Amino acid sequence: MPDPDFSTFPLRKKGNRYQDFEEGRTFEHHWGRTLSEADNALFATATMRFTPLYFNAEYARAHGHGSVVIDPLLVLCTVVGMSVEDLSEGGGPFLGVNDVKFHQPVYPGDTITGRSRVVGRRESGSRPHFGIVTWETEARNQHGNVVLTYQRTNLVAKRREPTR
Amino acid sequence: MTTALTSPSTYFEDFAAGQKMRHARSTTIDEVESQLLTKLVLNTADGHFDEHKMKASPFGQRLVFGLVTGSTVIGLATQDTAENALAELGLDRMRFRAPVFLGDSLTAYTEVLETRDADRDDAGVVRFKHWGTKQDGTIVFEGEREVLIKRRSHWGS
Repeated sequence: MPDPDFSTFPLRKKGNRYQDFEEGRTFEHHWGRTLSEADNALFATATMRFTPLYFNAEYARAHGHGSVVIDPLLVLCTVVGMSVEDLSEGGGPFLGVNDVKFHQPVYPGDTITGRSRVVGRRESGSRPHFGIVTWETEARNQHGNVVLTYQRTNLVAKRREPTR
Repeated sequence: MTTALTSPSTYFEDFAAGQKMRHARSTTIDEVESQLLTKLVLNTADGHFDEHKMKASPFGQRLVFGLVTGSTVIGLATQDTAENALAELGLDRMRFRAPVFLGDSLTAYTEVLETRDADRDDAGVVRFKHWGTKQDGTIVFEGEREVLIKRRSHWGS
């Protein structure tokens, strides 16, 4: 049997474009992630986060925790990571992340989910094929408690409407 | 005792507004920091991990995920700013000022913006501003961060 012609295979497209971000639209981000002690040790050591709360369980217990604390930067990176397909995979860099609040500690075994709401958008003055979108994101643990909130703004590519 | 595990010079009392720090170590961003951490946190944007696709882009190569850059810069600053932290409270005004590529080396600088009492008397809050530069001096990241830090008066030996 000859190999198929891959050029006929339709692309499974990912990501949204500027036109998809109507103000107020909410996205429940995919997957969720259980953060393990291994994830935490890898992240906190690879980024040299030399605070013993994140990798010394005895030290963390002496400071009122039941185990090590998940590095809050890992929580932030994971929530942003899970939001990328909905918000920013369509193209365009970060313009900024503001007002990041870590509301309560996350522990190994906790499962984090994220959701975002479009809170503002406008055309880019200098780049006609892009717009600027701001989202408010919140992340919760498996008990429904908010662990993280932040605002993110990106340059977002517009969908090119076909020209006739 | 836990006091032997952390430096005696990173308690709340050791910070004052206006204090500046150049942190001692720099680090190169390689596959572990870029590709592994990007995928660890489920970031699906292949501009961070498909070299051949990015060769055809205006950047000519993979871009490092901005929050890997930000986390690494804050990481380089962490021993000097949060070794005696009880909690990291938040971040603000994070800006990703120039692209970072695999092979770039990052250095971190910090200024103390403010110190203030916390809502508990064994710790105080310090607000830091961090900057990250790469090997040619270009600023690639800046951001502010608030940390709840132990007071020596309560926690020191």
